[in-house]
Amino acid sequence: MDYTKFDELTLLGLITRRDENALAALYDRFGRMVYTMAINVMNDDAAAEEITQDVFLNIWKKSSSYDASQAKVATWIASITRHRTIDFLRARSIRPTSHEFSWDEEPQLEIADSLDVEVETELHQRQQIVRQGLARLPEDQQKVLALAYFGGYSQSEMAKLLNEPLGTVKTRLRLAMQKLRQYLILIDEETSHEPGRSG
Amino acid sequence: MLEHIIDLIPAYVLGALDTAEVQIADRHLEQCPACQAELSAYRQVVADLALASPQHNPPARLKEHLMKQVHQSVAQTSPGWMQQIWQRMRTLSPVWAMSSLVLILVLAASNLFWWQQTHQLQSKLRSVSLNNTAAAPNAAGLLVLSVDGERGTLVVDGLPALGGKQQYQLWLIDKGKRTSGGVFSVSQEGYGSLWIESPKPLITYQSFGITIEPFGGSPGPTGEKVLGGQF
Repeated sequence: MDYTKFDELTLLGLITRRDENALAALYDRFGRMVYTMAINVMNDDAAAEEITQDVFLNIWKKSSSYDASQAKVATWIASITRHRTIDFLRARSIRPTSHEFSWDEEPQLEIADSLDVEVETELHQRQQIVRQGLARLPEDQQKVLALAYFGGYSQSEMAKLLNEPLGTVKTRLRLAMQKLRQYLILIDEETSHEPGRSG
Repeated sequence: MLEHIIDLIPAYVLGALDTAEVQIADRHLEQCPACQAELSAYRQVVADLALASPQHNPPARLKEHLMKQVHQSVAQTSPGWMQQIWQRMRTLSPVWAMSSLVLILVLAASNLFWWQQTHQLQSKLRSVSLNNTAAAPNAAGLLVLSVDGERGTLVVDGLPALGGKQQYQLWLIDKGKRTSGGVFSVSQEGYGSLWIESPKPLITYQSFGITIEPFGGSPGPTGEKVLGGQF
């Protein structure tokens, strides 16, 4: 069977039936996302590799717990990755050093052999949209979001680090996420109303 | 009164809450569909944030290592243990060997029953593998059901491409009665998929079959069966 033709839900269905090729195909689709999420927080190749492997082994063992009514497959995998990465970071009890916690760096689009041009183009467009949403946030909100996302800092840790009241940090982080979410919803709605789009 | 935790959710999905707040959020989320929906929406934002940061391709060896581990985990659950038990049996007297074998079978049956019960509770994604027939020996198919068992998608591969006058037809079988689940064609490579049309929840059917029919389908199966499977 040509697994590249299967959608993500079908691949998960095959994984529940212990199909190793389906897991390999899922890795081809999401391996880069998982590895990127891990290495951008850990700033350590070995740790990112370990996290990536853990995430896919977790999917192999627990694919049947996926609930399509709760999240898209990509969101489910991103959520598992985020949890695993934060656990890993806190277990180390040392923050990654020489690490810039900011959204300034323009993501480079590396072409992965496993993805077709159409998927890469869609990812690139989404990247631009998310970065536009981030650029619209006030600098102090960008800062706490970057500290939480890349640094894995809790709100109380950020309050100490920035020497700001805890309530201020909480408000900044909440507003940053709310505004970004609203911006992404707005863009999705606009895109779905474009001629030629069925939504 | 149920106090919503919507303000906590953005920090919750980022893992930025302190332990006490995480516990409050976890307890609330277990019983609040509204906050669960908020959680899903913010998880999507976190997944999008992954795109906004510098992208990195994992090293090629990582996939090889992962698949090796997966393969080993499959091999460890293969039936090699049965051979070990049989070897031990041969060293016992016939009476003890028979008694032990009966005991092992009872325990195995009991374990299987409880495993199935647990699996049924945990599993949210149902699927049915379709087996090929002599009419299409290279074909394979999979039917994936929605979480509620109402709807489903069929994916096939390796089916012979038919001429313009014929199509494949899916049959949903309930107590021997066959209802059409839709017709479809496959590509030259033999790949095809179908969003299944069903007058009642798919989960209520016991088995499924695919036959070759005239273009547009038939009221009942008339052609050769190429794939079939059951729950």
